[in-house]
Order: sequence, then structure tokens, then C-alpha cells
Amino acid sequence: MLEIRKTVAKETAVFALEGRLDTVTAPALEKALAESLDGVTDLTLDFEKLEYISSAGLRVLLSAQKSMNKRGTMRLVRVGETVMEIFDVTGFTDILTIE
Amino acid sequence: MKKVLGITFGRLQRRAVGLVLLVLVLTVAVFAVVSAYQSRMLVKIVGETRDEQQSAISQTSEATMQQMLEATLIRTTSLQANVADNDFAEVVNNVYMLQAMAQGLFENRQGLLPEAFRLPDPSMEGTPSAMVLCEAGVDYTQSEYLGTAAHLSVPMIAMHRISDKIDGLYIGLADGTDLCVDEKPRIKLDGNGEPIPFPVRERPWYKGAVEAGGLYFTGIMKDAFSGKLVVTCSAPVVADGELVGVVGIDIVLESMADFQSAAANGGAVFIVNDKGQVIISSDQTGLFAAAEANVARDLRKLGSEELSQFVDRARSETTDLELLTLDGREYYMVGSPMPTVGWAVVSAVDKELTQQPERRLLGEYDKINVDASEQFRSGAARVGTTIVLMFAAMLILGALAALLATRRMVRPIEEMTQNVITCGQTGGLFQMKDSYRTNDEIEVLAESFADLSKKTKRYIENITEITREKERVSTELHMANQIQSSMLPHIFPAYPDRHEFDIYASMDPAKEVGGDFYDFFLIDDDHLCLVMADVSGKGVPAALFMMISKTILQSCAMLGRSPAEILRKTNEALCSNNQVEMFVTVWVGILEISTGKLTAANAGHEYPVIKRPGGRFELIKDRHGLVIGAMDSANYKEYELQLEPGTKLFLYTDGVPEATDASNALFGTQRMLEALNGAPDTAPEQLLKNVRKAVDSFVQEAEQFDDLTMMCLEYRGKDVQTNEN
Repeated sequence: MLEIRKTVAKETAVFALEGRLDTVTAPALEKALAESLDGVTDLTLDFEKLEYISSAGLRVLLSAQKSMNKRGTMRLVRVGETVMEIFDVTGFTDILTIE
Repeated sequence: MKKVLGITFGRLQRRAVGLVLLVLVLTVAVFAVVSAYQSRMLVKIVGETRDEQQSAISQTSEATMQQMLEATLIRTTSLQANVADNDFAEVVNNVYMLQAMAQGLFENRQGLLPEAFRLPDPSMEGTPSAMVLCEAGVDYTQSEYLGTAAHLSVPMIAMHRISDKIDGLYIGLADGTDLCVDEKPRIKLDGNGEPIPFPVRERPWYKGAVEAGGLYFTGIMKDAFSGKLVVTCSAPVVADGELVGVVGIDIVLESMADFQSAAANGGAVFIVNDKGQVIISSDQTGLFAAAEANVARDLRKLGSEELSQFVDRARSETTDLELLTLDGREYYMVGSPMPTVGWAVVSAVDKELTQQPERRLLGEYDKINVDASEQFRSGAARVGTTIVLMFAAMLILGALAALLATRRMVRPIEEMTQNVITCGQTGGLFQMKDSYRTNDEIEVLAESFADLSKKTKRYIENITEITREKERVSTELHMANQIQSSMLPHIFPAYPDRHEFDIYASMDPAKEVGGDFYDFFLIDDDHLCLVMADVSGKGVPAALFMMISKTILQSCAMLGRSPAEILRKTNEALCSNNQVEMFVTVWVGILEISTGKLTAANAGHEYPVIKRPGGRFELIKDRHGLVIGAMDSANYKEYELQLEPGTKLFLYTDGVPEATDASNALFGTQRMLEALNGAPDTAPEQLLKNVRKAVDSFVQEAEQFDDLTMMCLEYRGKDVQTNEN
């Protein structure tokens, strides 16, 4: 189960995720991002309440990162331990901006 | 369906008929209640009207009767009083005349010659004649008065002839003789023809007149000879200061026929004298009957003050119609005076009698009423019977009509129901029929059925098509899975002739085809390449991506490149044409079999697990590079591990630590290590099974979400092989 709370103000967008980002829920995030990222140059993903991320979730992050690389910045904030470990293992720490 | 009288009733029809009957019965019930109420009201009104009418009749009748009585009784009574007074006045005049004549004769008797007189003569019976009577012991022949008195014979006979009310006239003389004029000489003689002695001076009329000194009326008394009831009017004759006799006239009461006729009216008419005695009455035996003077009662002393006052009043004036209660009975009474004699004529009518016509009228009216009520009742009963029959007819006809109407309505529905059931059983198409064309909801329903039937058929066809398609896809996926599995080394023991190592691997995809894969192959005689990878995503796209990755990895490895180079080359190849942003985590290692030296590189894959001889399974926190396919610029570092004989290397995909139970808890690497360490010295195949078992018991009912792929290498080294050889 994944809850997405998005706050979009002109060029700044904040997506707060809660729950699990996996095969079942990843398409929802992908859709939400696709809908909201037009003209956004500063994307923040708040992972404070994200419990788990699977490879399908990583794919969405990768896609978003690539998309944002062309027009601005994307950063992840308040990443939890479990999720951070997954980022470490998969090497995503190298391509993502994690604060 | 239920059969009644050979007709089959559907439940719908029974309900409809029941409804109609219920409405009819309710209507009838309401009607019956209203009718009963109206009928009761009518009976009540008739009864009340009857009472009112009877009361009105009673009052009107009584009033009318009283008016009639008042009018007639007062008139007749005063008339009768007049007549009676006239009659008595005539007698009184005659008495006065006789008195005057006698007085004149006796005062002048010196100059008169004695007139002849004689004893009663039977031959004169029926004709008025003068006769001599005398007291016992008196010799009439010696009488000094008779000769004088006999001069009155002619006028007395004349008087008797003129008046029919006079029964007899006489002059009683002081010497005990009497000259009498009447038509009945015989009764004054005994059987021998001798005159019967007559006590002249003892007679009441004689004594009364002498005592009164003037005009005197006796009460009723019996005639000395005939025994008839008479009233005598008498007056003393005094000549030269000396009483010489008394003149008297008998009035025959029977002669006053008017009083008799009055009795026919149901009332009584009577004369009451100054003593309150009834002297003449039409009433023979009742309250107002006349009686002889010596026994006659004074009406004023009967105990009724009312009557007493009435009698006194009646003697002075004509009274109103008065209602008096005597001896417990009510009488209408009118009295009128007879001034000449100071008496009164009284008419009395028993109220009971006046009410008789009213009673007859009421009785007659009541009879009519009772007859009318009876007719009304029987009429009402007839109407009631008619209504009951009508209601019965209504119920029967209503039921029949409802039956027919509902049959018409229900039959198409029944047919339709049968049709639908048949269609349901045979899967045939529901067809419209002419009998459904009822031009109402039934037709709409039938059309809807037909439409629905067509749609259902089409839907079933679609579903069949889709199912067929799905089955085809499923079959193809299954085949793909088989192809995928067959592409991975799956025959164990994989290298039965190589004793330096043992290897075992398994893959359980979550869906038909998964994105995980393992691989191992000999690059040359001394180098074994191990690959463990996990493609992001699932299903066919992941499987295809996996195929490419596997092929490229193997190709690079076979070219003799180092693990880091293999990863870099593969990454470049996959990034160059990666439209879907899929990526794959890869751990690749190359074991130099002769030395046990393992060179490995990790592109975002799970930590490998190692168990050194005598030790426990533990994670190797190796360096990680980025997943393959994400960024074409990614670089990979490789590392070396020296494997001692007896070392076990366990590789897996994230499906193992990330297996989740129903409450979303992760299996985790800790549980995985525990499972491995449960029996650390068993063969690779058994180790994999142990892990699998631990995962299954952890996950329990929850769906397997990710692929479960594991591989285990046991390095035995040259020495083992040598020993075994």
C-alpha cells in the first residue's frame, strides 16, 4: 500500500510517500510523477514514511532522475535506514541526490 | 402451480384473484356497516316519529275533546237548566194559582153552595178525575171543607190536562180529608172496592208546607199509591188566619225525558236541590243517582270541598267546564242554576269516556304504525336478502372476472418464464413471440429479455474468446517459462566429473516468467563463471530483458574479461538502447578452480554469503556499483576472495530477504543466515531447500511476491579431488 501526498507550487514539487513502493504500487507513483512534472525544475521526494522499495520502485526513481537531469534537480530527503540500505546495495547512492 | 377445479393457477394469478376478492370483501364489509347503521337510524327515526305523533295526537285529541265538551256541555246544561226551571216554574205557578183559588173559596165559603164530590171511581181510570181520600177513622161525608174544596175540581182537572209534567193535583184539608185529581182511581181502592185510607196530614208535602208556611218542595218520594218516585210541590192554604189545608202538585220524574236522553251521551245530568240532594238524575245507580229524600245524601257533605263549592256555585251561576276528582275518578262537570226553585242542573262526564275516542284513535294509529313497521321490516329483510344475493353474485362474478383478466395477463408471463427457463437450460436465444405483444409492460419485459438474451450470448462469446486468448497467452507464458528455465543450467549435478566444487541453483518465479536468473559456466578448464542477477520488474518484459542481459554477460565472460569489465561492457550494451528504463542487478564472479581465487564484481546486487571452513554463513559486504542499464557511464570495481577448500558461497536475489508475510514483515537477511546456519555443513542442494522451507514457513498464506532465486557453490579444492581420486 502506498500513499502519495504531492504538493506542487509552480516549479517546485514535493512528493511525500508513505508505505511500500513495490511492483504493485510503483505504477501509481510513475503516473503521479508523469502528471505533475511538467515545468517542475525542483523535485523533492520525502521518504520519511517509506518502508520499503523494490526494484520496480527503483526503476521509477531512475526514470524520474533521468527525466529531471534534463531540466533541473531531484533530491531525496529523510530516507529511512531500510531504504538507504537498498540504495547502497543497488548502487543507487551513486546516481541519486540523497540529503 | 396449483390445480383447482381442473384449472391451473399460477401463484401470480392466485395473488391477483386474492387481491380482487379482498377489495370486494372490504367494499362489501364497508357497505354492510353503513347499511346496518342507516337501517338502525331509520328504525330509530320511525320509532321516535311514532312516539311524537302519538303524543301530538294525544294532546290534540284531549284539547279538542275538552273544547268540544266545554262548548257543548255548557250550552246543553244551561239549556236544560232553563227548560227544567221553566217546567218547575210552571208547576210552581199552578201551585200558587191553586193556593190563591183555595184561599178565595174558603174565605168566601159562607156564600157558596157545597159542590159535589165523590170517592174514586174505577170507571174513570185513564181520565183525569177528582176523588176524595181520607184518613182512617175520618168520615168524609161530615167534612166542612170538602164541599168548598170541590170547587177546585174543574180547574185542577184542567191543569192536569194541560201539563204533561203533572201527575196529580190535590188539596189536603185540615180535617183529614183530601181532594185529589189524577188518572188512576183504581189503585186507591182495595180488593173490595173500598177506599184505602190516606194519611193526609202525615204526608211530607203537607207537613212540609205547613212547617214552611209557604211554597215547599219535597224531596223524591214514593207516591202513596203507585209507588212511583215523585217530587211534590205544595203550599198551605190559610183562610181568615186559619189553616184550612195544603195544595200540592205531583211532578212525575219520569216525565222529564230530557234527563234520560242525556244519559245516552255517556254522562250524567241531574238536578240538585237547595239541600244538595240529587232529585232528578239520568244516572240510575252511580254517584249521581237520585234517592228518596229521607236517604238522599247531601252532595256537599261527601267530603269533597271541590264538589261542595261547585254545587253552591252552580245554584247561582252557570259554571265553566271543571274537572273534579270524585271517588278516584275524574269528571268534567258543568252546572247551571234554576233560579225559580234555587236548584241547579249539573252535567257530569267521566273523563275516561272523553278519552275513549282518543284511545281508539291512538289504537288505530298504533295499528297502522305497527303494520307499517312490519311492512318496513319485511321490506328491509327482502332488501337485505337481495343485497346479500347481489354481494354473492358480485363476489362470484368479481372472482371470475379477476380470474379471466389475470389469466390474460399472467399467461404470457408464464409462457415467458417457461421460455426463459428453457433458454437458461439449453443456452438458446430468447425469441419474441406474438403472445408477448401485449402492448404493455409484459411486451417491454419480453423485449428486454430478448435484448438481454442477445447481449448475454454475445457476452458469453466474448468471454469464451477472451478465455481462449488468455489460455493461449498462459500457454505461451508457460512455454516461455520453460524456455527460460531451459536456458539456465538446470541439470544437477552440473559437472559430475568435476570434484573440485559442487554447485546447485534454483529459481521459482513469482509469475509465469520472472526477471531473476542465475548462471554458471566454465570459461575454460580452470575458470568457472558464476552469475546471479535480478531484472527490475516482472513478467514477459523482465524475461526478455533477462535473456539479453544473460546473453551479453555470458558473451563478455567467454571473451575472458574480468568481472568488472564484463559488467561495464554489459552496462554499455544495455544502456545504448534502453527505452523502458529497465535495469538489472548483477553479481558476477570468476573462480580460478585450481587456486580457489575468486574475482567478483557487484552491480547493485545483494551481498553474497560466505561460509569459510569451520565458520558460519555470513554476509560479504562487498563494494557495490550501480545497477546495470541505469547509466551508461557507470563504473565497476572488482574484488578478490581466496576460497579455502570447504568454503561455501551462497548467492541469492532480493526475493529471499524481501519475502513478506501477511503483516508485511520482511524475511530479512538475518533469518536467511539463520536458516543457512541451521545445518551449515550439508550439501548445497539441501541448503537451498532449507532456506526455501524457512521462507515458506515465514510467509505462510501470503502470496509469493518476488522471484526466489538461489545458488550455492561449495569449493572443495584440488586436494579433495586428489584424495577422492
